[in-house]
Amino acid sequence: MNFETAARLGAILSKDYAEDFFKLLVNYQDISASEAASRLSLHIRTAQDFLENLTDLDIVKKTEVFEKKRPYFRYTLIQTKLKLDLDLTIFEKENSDEGLSRLLREKKENGANFAIARSGDCFSTVTVWEGDGRERQEHKISLTSPQGQFLFHLPFPKARPLSVADIIDKAGVESEYSAEIQDIVDELIRLDVIEVL
Amino acid sequence: MFFERKTKSQSILKSIWFPILSVGIFISAFGLFGPGPAFYTLGGIYFLASVFPIVTFLKTRNNGYLAVALFQIFAGLVCISAPPAIEDKNNVGLVPIFIVIMYALMMVVAYQVFNRRLRWRGEEIFELAALPVEDIGNNFTARPRPAGQIPVSKTEMIRFVDFVTQNLIAFAFREENRVVFVLTLPRNDLPYLFGIKKDYSEDTWVAVDYDGNVTVNITEEDYLLFKMDLDFDQICQSLGNVFSEFLELSKTGQESQIIDRMNALRLNPFT
Repeated sequence: MNFETAARLGAILSKDYAEDFFKLLVNYQDISASEAASRLSLHIRTAQDFLENLTDLDIVKKTEVFEKKRPYFRYTLIQTKLKLDLDLTIFEKENSDEGLSRLLREKKENGANFAIARSGDCFSTVTVWEGDGRERQEHKISLTSPQGQFLFHLPFPKARPLSVADIIDKAGVESEYSAEIQDIVDELIRLDVIEVL
Repeated sequence: MFFERKTKSQSILKSIWFPILSVGIFISAFGLFGPGPAFYTLGGIYFLASVFPIVTFLKTRNNGYLAVALFQIFAGLVCISAPPAIEDKNNVGLVPIFIVIMYALMMVVAYQVFNRRLRWRGEEIFELAALPVEDIGNNFTARPRPAGQIPVSKTEMIRFVDFVTQNLIAFAFREENRVVFVLTLPRNDLPYLFGIKKDYSEDTWVAVDYDGNVTVNITEEDYLLFKMDLDFDQICQSLGNVFSEFLELSKTGQESQIIDRMNALRLNPFT
């Protein structure tokens, strides 16, 4: 199951009326949106959307029927067991080693503000301003301790760039944190705070 | 030592405006109200002015400023005691004693000035940091930079803090795991001396933690004290190196060499 499908299923299950709706679907051979709406005191549109979402996820099947030439849909439950199975390792940074060899340094006049942590040996937040004029908004990123230590040792603008691995080493950060460090590096590259050479 | 200065010279007016103003007020008061009120006014000015050296002495334990404070107090006493003596030459009271002490203290102060013992040393530290930096490039960034390591014990740190404070090199802020040295650069001294300012984050500082890590922060305003856009990365590293060298000298009891290095720059003792 991909994340999008899991998110849709999660959203369906989180509805106030979801449990009652499934009770109907389990006990009825088939049901129309108007029948379900009247039974659960819902707006017909709400019931219809709920059933359409279940159809998209292949939990119910819809069949077109006619009543005096007027077509409408009846819905039948086809899955009585729902399984939400999501593999989060798909989000792990790819090409981790390749990412560690990137040469980095701070970008000149990036406008970012690095706030030093209480301990004095790492940063606690990076504040970046995005947009122009009235649309200008502050984007404050709270850093984890390894990220703060890493950025503390980031070479200055125009200074000799260092690879991510070298900076991690210089900052004395354990290599197991390299994934979260690469995440902040990618974000700060996107925000034009760090440049890759 | 011959070298090309890399920091901008400070105007001497900043040092002499107060004596000029005092003389101006004295002459004006003399012309308008006569010698008596003029001397009393000048005496008041001296007493008022002695607050600054007293506070400086209390904060830094720099003996030179104690001499300055005493000189100003005795100069004030001379001024306050002078009018009755001018009116009646037989009623000189303690004026001759005050004058002798005042002149003796003036000699002491002059000696201290010419030996740069009253000089706030931040500018000299900047000059020393700039000496080895040749590369140019405007690459300023407003964030601190790690600048190496120097092993230091708490006892050595306390000794160094006392030395740095007493010799007007920096204001030291003791924190849980480190000591932050805020350089005594132009405009920096008064707010810290009078305790108005305690947040050093917007100033230039060098921090040394008890693990020996040295961190340097130079503000944009202070970076502009350099005549040219010296490579910011190098100047930060160099400033860290200067402090590391000073700390190393302090550890081996060679503090006099630190003073010699700063004096060798021969910056104007009056600015």
